[in-house]
Amino acid sequence: MELLELFLKSIFIDNMVFATFLGMCSYLAVSKKVSTAVGLGAAVIFVMLVTVPLNYLLDQYILRPGALVWLGEDYGDVDLSFLTFILFIATIATMVQLVEMIVEKFAPALYNSLGIFLPLIAVNCAILGGSLFMQQKEFNNITEATVYGVGSGIGWFLAIVAIGAIREKIRYSNVPPVFRGLGMTFILTGLMAIGFMSFGGMLTGGDEAPKKEVVENVTPAEAVEVNEVATDSTALETVTDSLTQTVQE
Amino acid sequence: MSTKRTDSNGYTIIFSIVMVVVVGSLLAFFANFTKDLRVKNDQVKAQIDILSAIGVAADRSNATEMFAQYIKEQKVITGAEVSDDDKAYLIDVKKEMDAAKKGNTQRLPLFVAEKDGKTLYIMPVRGNGLWDAIWGYIALNDDLKSINGVYFDHKAETPGLGANITESFFTEDFKGEYIYDASGNFKGIEISKSNGDPNNKDKSDNQVDAISGATITGNGVGAMINSGIKSYLPYFETLKK
Amino acid sequence: MANANVEKEPLFSKKNLGLVKDPLTDNNPVTVQVLGICSALAITAELKASVIMALSVVFVLGAGNVLVSLLRNAIPSSIRIIAQLVVVAALVIIVDLTLKAYVPDLAKKLSVFIGLIITNCIIMGRFEAFALGNGPWKSFLDGVGNAAGYGLILIIVGFFRELLGSGKLFGYPVFGDPVNKTGLYATGYENNGFMLLAPMALITLGLIIGFQRSRNKNLIETN
Repeated sequence: MELLELFLKSIFIDNMVFATFLGMCSYLAVSKKVSTAVGLGAAVIFVMLVTVPLNYLLDQYILRPGALVWLGEDYGDVDLSFLTFILFIATIATMVQLVEMIVEKFAPALYNSLGIFLPLIAVNCAILGGSLFMQQKEFNNITEATVYGVGSGIGWFLAIVAIGAIREKIRYSNVPPVFRGLGMTFILTGLMAIGFMSFGGMLTGGDEAPKKEVVENVTPAEAVEVNEVATDSTALETVTDSLTQTVQE
Repeated sequence: MSTKRTDSNGYTIIFSIVMVVVVGSLLAFFANFTKDLRVKNDQVKAQIDILSAIGVAADRSNATEMFAQYIKEQKVITGAEVSDDDKAYLIDVKKEMDAAKKGNTQRLPLFVAEKDGKTLYIMPVRGNGLWDAIWGYIALNDDLKSINGVYFDHKAETPGLGANITESFFTEDFKGEYIYDASGNFKGIEISKSNGDPNNKDKSDNQVDAISGATITGNGVGAMINSGIKSYLPYFETLKK
Repeated sequence: MANANVEKEPLFSKKNLGLVKDPLTDNNPVTVQVLGICSALAITAELKASVIMALSVVFVLGAGNVLVSLLRNAIPSSIRIIAQLVVVAALVIIVDLTLKAYVPDLAKKLSVFIGLIITNCIIMGRFEAFALGNGPWKSFLDGVGNAAGYGLILIIVGFFRELLGSGKLFGYPVFGDPVNKTGLYATGYENNGFMLLAPMALITLGLIIGFQRSRNKNLIETN
């Protein structure tokens, strides 16, 4: 059950886009379409699945203070944590390269549809961020770390697809010129992030605390309740319509 | 363009090796150079936090001095054994709790302080807030029945809501609160929304007024205090005799 | 490349100064080029954190640009990206260690985001677009300019978030004491705690972009 809770938490509550805005640059600059968002998101999930557990092992057995104990007792004092950034990014760059080669060989159709995104992913903040947050959270075993990694990837995927869908639709709305495009995207992402905060009520807290509903002091701009991230167009249209109407006021 | 010397495999390999060696040594040197300062920073932080539980405001420049001045004894309780340990304040509570989950005996650090002629007992506690871990120190008066002061900190609570457990308007409420009820049963502290005592005048209700909008964090604080103090109760019984 | 007879450009020529000034306005890496947002927004709840982050990026991009520029003819083309990554990562590690040693409380809050400077698109972007093809002094100016443009946005967002969200600037209360209701709070003003939450950083940024485009109509996107 804890794993399921961790999984859901990393998708909806610690969502890498809406809680910490990771990985948005390349996406925002590159595309306004849902299809590219889906491709990019899929690639991210895959890379997270591969890199987070690997970096977890690196952290446990090499980087942590005292991690080198398995080499011998006298190595227990060694603290290599300062090498974290460099080793993590090296792992990520290498794994992305490997994944690219494997996908090209065994699934050329997938390789073609992912196109340029796969190499771009190595420098995507979301991937490095996922590993760094994993290190900070100090998981007990590799399963938890992997669940967190995959969950974060899925959360990122959902967020990017949702933003892409709204961006596609909003081109047909009357956005004030100064906000057209980038400005509106940021405001919208902010509003969606507020919506995602409502997921905080899913959590249970404290060891002996009863499961209560959290009513945080939040008044969203309009009561847009995002119960699931709806990827079907009708739900998104409703959201878009209500949002654009507000903007026009 | 003619093939540059820099494109040959041999050159690439040599370049890579040189790069790794240079960067590695540079970073190792720098890490070593700053290590003492970084380690000291962590130690000083622990000292500042412990002192703040008994209402002594120290900063990084005088923390070690004041720690030595106020904290008279540091003990480690391991099951039935009690030993003195002047590094007790460096014990990693999270590690101890994880070890206890695996069946090992948890090492419980205890700090005996003296302030204004009174003996105070300070212990670390740790628990879960809404988003991530919360922790702190609880200081008990010499009667071992009421709280002298508290210090709380958190990893990722919501700013303005759960994060306010660190603020004095919350921590002050704990001063003088009894952890036992009138019949002498251990009650701990309940962070309550409905205690009807928002200014916390009643110190024997075993309750502290909650922070609005921070229910789960508050519940986490209550659970943390209770389970934390419970582990020390057997030792306190021996002290009371 | 350059002919030995070409006059050396003065250090602070108009063109060189332009390298520093442009990113501060018309070519701002965050609001115009849309780079480097990642590691920025989550930490701007406090002005102090924003300033430290801005300075860190100035150091990493400035020094990084110079290093890459100096090494540009020596880096083997097959490991170009890796070499750049190593340079950035090493510089970021130095910044991280320095922060942990000298401002430990802030370093704890910023920890992950300092690491994310490595993947900050602005840095790799400038390496590729400028440092690999220009001399060290120009690269230095370009680096500092772009980092300053990025830092400027961070500081503006941090300014509004801390001021409106907690009534403080740099940790010093500006409007009075919210608990005891002195100063501005006596009139009934309350801190807008919402500004401290993550989404407001995005919305503030959107508003800044709107404001910038209202002053420079060239930046307005045509659908």
